Amino acid sequence: MPTGSTGVKTNFFGSGAQTARLMLYGLLAIVLMAIDQRGEYVPRIRSLVGTLIEPIYHLVDWPVRTAESLASGFTTRESLSETNESLRAALLAQEADLLRLQTLVEENRRLRALLEGAGTLVFKTAFAELVRVDLDPFSHQVMINKGAAEGVEVGQAVIDAEGVMGQVEDVQPHMARVRLISDPNHALPVQISRTGLRTVAFGTGETGALILNSVPLEADIREGDLVVTSGLGDRFPGGYPVATISGISRAAGQTFAEVVATPLASLDRGREVLLIVPQFTEEAFIGPLPDEPEQSELLPEGSEP
Amino acid sequence: MMKKRDNSRAFVFTLVLATILAIVPLPGFLEMIWPFWMALVVIYWSLENPRYMSLGLVFAIGLLLDFLTVSLLGLHALRLVILAYLVLRFRARLRFFPPWQLGLSVLGLLVNDSIILLWINTLVGEPLPPLGYWLPAIFGALIWPLFFIALDRIRSVGRRGVT
Repeated sequence: MPTGSTGVKTNFFGSGAQTARLMLYGLLAIVLMAIDQRGEYVPRIRSLVGTLIEPIYHLVDWPVRTAESLASGFTTRESLSETNESLRAALLAQEADLLRLQTLVEENRRLRALLEGAGTLVFKTAFAELVRVDLDPFSHQVMINKGAAEGVEVGQAVIDAEGVMGQVEDVQPHMARVRLISDPNHALPVQISRTGLRTVAFGTGETGALILNSVPLEADIREGDLVVTSGLGDRFPGGYPVATISGISRAAGQTFAEVVATPLASLDRGREVLLIVPQFTEEAFIGPLPDEPEQSELLPEGSEP
Repeated sequence: MMKKRDNSRAFVFTLVLATILAIVPLPGFLEMIWPFWMALVVIYWSLENPRYMSLGLVFAIGLLLDFLTVSLLGLHALRLVILAYLVLRFRARLRFFPPWQLGLSVLGLLVNDSIILLWINTLVGEPLPPLGYWLPAIFGALIWPLFFIALDRIRSVGRRGVT
């Protein structure tokens, strides 16, 4: 380890030798970064190393989680019953919505049958929590506490209660890494829910802004419009809310308008997330899947076929 | 002051601690000023006992941090290698600086490190960060005297334990 022969050399370096070594390591680091930036090889290495370093995340995650649960153990009875009440109210409202949704699903199924559509997509969701570790903010990735052992797969969509968060980038035994939609390298096929206009939402590197590209100048698009996933690209199921339009600039002489949208999901402060598990079935199901009694949920396919 | 049999336990302990501090989740305010602890550890050991600090080891530590924080692979490695090189190169001079001057040098090193990080992130296509980006470097330099004393303490405790 540290007290090797190289260590002794550094004592009396010959700044020449030391500088040569700096050059060597510097060059090596730059080559690595270039390869990583191009997206070759490194994901596989990361995946391998990820399994080795997973225990370190647990080491950090576990005490923080324990402290949090201890702290929550001290909440008063009063505040507990308060949250309970508000949750109950929220649940009631959601159940009412769900009733309406069920009839829509039914209707959708009948219409599909008329069109002689093939199988319908049924989406199951699985609950996961963010691991309490801070990654490089420039990496636009987060860790979640479900991994290969829990059936998480690369490419799965991850949402929170408000909207789409990102997709699973890498899976380790008991954790998975999720790339957020704010990553400058991330593109998400979306459409404007009011008009059905299809476009692609790119990350900007800021958690508060996405850029929609190739929106024609004369397109009908307004501030406050809801942006939902279009379901194209086969990664994200359609119809999930992504963002609201927050700024449009139509510069004369440009082909496309510059459209900025604010993501709905809490990309930088969320705790709980849902993993979407797409499943093709021959027939459309109504009601929860038979083989998955807990935490399974039925969601309709996106608005676009 | 520094005998040949300086203890490696303190060394390993500080490395592990700095690694954990790199990924520990923080409330918003602390996160704004959270210094790059591993940089401080590397500066300390390069000054105090360069036998422990070879550029190869620093490079390996950097790679570990890259994997842990999911940064661009080689980013932390490059930052730490440059840092260690600068300290080792000017070690003879730095060691005889009065404390305030050493503190300024640490500030310079950390700011230089932030510039490297900024430069690479801009190359990769990140937007320019807000002004608060420079806070960790400044805070790192402010905490340096305390950090130095704390590590001296850790070291002496470990040494007594060994003998």
